[in-house]
Amino acid sequence: MKSPTTSIAFDRPARETAADSFAMWVLIGSEVMLFGAILLVFMFARLSYGDAFAGAAKHLSLPLGTANTVVLITSSFAMALAHMYTAARRWRAAGWALAATALLGVVFLAIKATEYAREFSEGLAPVLGAPFIYKGPDPVHAEFFFGLYFAMTSLHALHLICGVIVIGGILALWPRTIEASRFRRVQAIGLYWHFVDIVWVFLFPVLYLINR
Amino acid sequence: MSEFRKLTLAYIGLLALLALTVGSSFLALGGFNSALNLVIAAAKTAVIAILFMHLASDGVLPRLAVAAAGFWLMILFGLTLIGQ
Amino acid sequence: MSSDLASASYLAEGAGPRSWLLTTDHKRVAWLYFVSLTAFFFLGGTFAVLMRIELATPAGDLVSDDVYNRLFSLHGIIMVWFFLVPSIPATLGNFLLPLMIGARDLAFPRLNLASWYVFMFGSLFALASVVLGGVDTGWTFYTPLSTLYANGFVSTAAFGVFIVGFSTIMTGINFIVTVHTLRAPGLTWFRLPIFVWTLYATSLVMVLATPVLAASLILIVLERVFGIGIFNPDLGGDPLLFQHLFWFYSHPAVYIMILPGMGVVSEVLPCFSRRPLFGYKAVALASMAIAVFGFLVWGHHMFVSGQSAYAGVVFSFLSFCVAIPSAIKVFNWSLTLRKGEISFETPMLYALFFLALFTFGGLAGLFLAALAIDVHVHDTYFVVAHFHYIMVGGMVTAYMAGLHFWWPKLTGRMYSEVWGRIAAAVTFIGFNLTFFPQYVLGFLGMPRRYHTYPPEFAFWHILSSAGAVVLAIGYLMPLLYLAWSLFRGAQAPANPWRATGLEWQTSSPPPAHNFDRMPTVTRPAYDYPMKGLTEKRSDPVEDLV
Repeated sequence: MKSPTTSIAFDRPARETAADSFAMWVLIGSEVMLFGAILLVFMFARLSYGDAFAGAAKHLSLPLGTANTVVLITSSFAMALAHMYTAARRWRAAGWALAATALLGVVFLAIKATEYAREFSEGLAPVLGAPFIYKGPDPVHAEFFFGLYFAMTSLHALHLICGVIVIGGILALWPRTIEASRFRRVQAIGLYWHFVDIVWVFLFPVLYLINR
Repeated sequence: MSEFRKLTLAYIGLLALLALTVGSSFLALGGFNSALNLVIAAAKTAVIAILFMHLASDGVLPRLAVAAAGFWLMILFGLTLIGQ
Repeated sequence: MSSDLASASYLAEGAGPRSWLLTTDHKRVAWLYFVSLTAFFFLGGTFAVLMRIELATPAGDLVSDDVYNRLFSLHGIIMVWFFLVPSIPATLGNFLLPLMIGARDLAFPRLNLASWYVFMFGSLFALASVVLGGVDTGWTFYTPLSTLYANGFVSTAAFGVFIVGFSTIMTGINFIVTVHTLRAPGLTWFRLPIFVWTLYATSLVMVLATPVLAASLILIVLERVFGIGIFNPDLGGDPLLFQHLFWFYSHPAVYIMILPGMGVVSEVLPCFSRRPLFGYKAVALASMAIAVFGFLVWGHHMFVSGQSAYAGVVFSFLSFCVAIPSAIKVFNWSLTLRKGEISFETPMLYALFFLALFTFGGLAGLFLAALAIDVHVHDTYFVVAHFHYIMVGGMVTAYMAGLHFWWPKLTGRMYSEVWGRIAAAVTFIGFNLTFFPQYVLGFLGMPRRYHTYPPEFAFWHILSSAGAVVLAIGYLMPLLYLAWSLFRGAQAPANPWRATGLEWQTSSPPPAHNFDRMPTVTRPAYDYPMKGLTEKRSDPVEDLV
């Protein structure tokens, strides 16, 4: 029989679970600073070139952005259910809720990819040497807006991809995982997933909703 | 099943806040549009943190981490902006 | 090696490469870091020596200007990110933190090992940029130089630094959680050794500042590789913003580097003066104050970068404020020595040199915090001398103090005390000979980062170059006699210095699970002079528990 604690430093699983959750919160604090710094860059630019940014933001797809927000909030809801079922030891329901979370994450990424493809075809993607064709006023700063848009959303998407991969790993190992570890893993990935959702909660209005 | 109800209400609340923030962006409120968007984003964050992430019930350490991050974020934004 | 001791030691748990490369024992991970960091220290040191040899004559006769740019850039990048930032936390901290708080390991042993692999992965990129031809931006990667004009391997080096940041954050999270959740019964916050306090403060800075550096490096790489013009004024970007983000990390990073050094000195000074640390609470809280205040002063790197005069005044004032907690510590260390039974073993020599050099370098920092003086000496050798007094004279000296202090615990062997003292003295002389002339040079107007100079500066440059050779000898000597002690050194007793602290209550070297009997703490830290320990030099367990 394996020891119920993963780290030899802990004598009781309950303390290790608490330490896990604290560690995830410290990691989230760290991630807050990462996204905070990039939002700071955006805010500076927004204060300097407000009109150009408002004009450029109108070229983003509000329906797709809104749909994606709904998808991500729903995925967070599914993750919260997974946490609830795990705590109640309803393992089958928890597994399905986790799978739903990951699936919604993939849907989000698919919609995001559609948006990117649309922006590339319309010449709104000033990255990877693609031509930037922009009809509105102040194309230089509109280009800056799209540069930041791609930087911020792709960094967020990268976090989401990591989350989906980790959920996939947890599900693959699910039958072979002892119960105490199942709860700790769901708790940890849950905190991460909700945090990535919160990042989008800020990115969406900041990027898509500039004075429509 | 009270936990399930609580989570469902949180979910519905989040969708309502989303509708509010998208809807408000079609009103011309000048500078208040951005302010309103940020307030709504903060409200959504509170719902997710407290109801989905159990921030209020998981002991004092998680709140310590959040408070520290909030404080340092304030330093980053505040002191960068005084230079402008 | 006597067999009964060997069977109990963590070093006897296995000998093959697998037992080291797949270990999750914090004591062995500390050794993995120790070996890698020593290699980086001597690599970075080699670049420094090459620079000093070039500067021995006014003409540019050894290397071209371009090569010189790459030398100082790589010296800075390697020394800052691949030695100084991880140095004490990842080696001594990794080894001692669980021992000092009476834990069997760090909270996340596998994360700890993973942090070393991430560190090595990141260092591959840095080494690749060295081998491929180097970087010429300086360690600061300032835009728009780094994004538009630099022709070195900036993306490779920046990506390496970015990866190493993950390893730093992993260590920081691990330490914070460990200190909060794994203290021994009775070990309250105000009974913690100051070394633990400083590691905690350091971890806080690591976790909160490193991501901002990561953000700025991501944006640089995006700009170089994907063409997003975030810091390019032609595309609407703002190069000054990079400096804000960079220094938001890099000034607190100075405290990442120096705080653990302060912790080491706070352990060594009381032990060798047989006195409790003066003003324990003030020193503990000053460590936390430094961690917070350190975040408020980054603008003093940008006094002449075109930030507003108003911001300059605010940052200047805050920079004076950050000197207060450091001064509190210096006064407390000095008062600890008062009426002490001082003995001058090697760790104590290094600690006293730290005290002198840190104070001297710190006072020069106040000059630089003053707006008007900074305009005169900014980007001159005065700045170079200032931060080398803190980083080398302070931090590396404290690292040497800690290494000698805990070497018996790390290895179970005693090193040659005579050679230890000689090396400490040589280091002190070599250091001052190298860097004191640089204050003079800077004040006379010699700018940093030039490979040639007018002949009237030659006297001071030659002194500095001669000092660099002495300093290099001072750092090579410990490498030799410490390595020698591994094979030929005398067996170390559990507590060779008659020191307080839980790490001295277990055998030298400790068993794999640290303590045969988990300790309980009933006394404050630094309970010197330890009655009953004056005659007996080993096995103090009965006296303490």
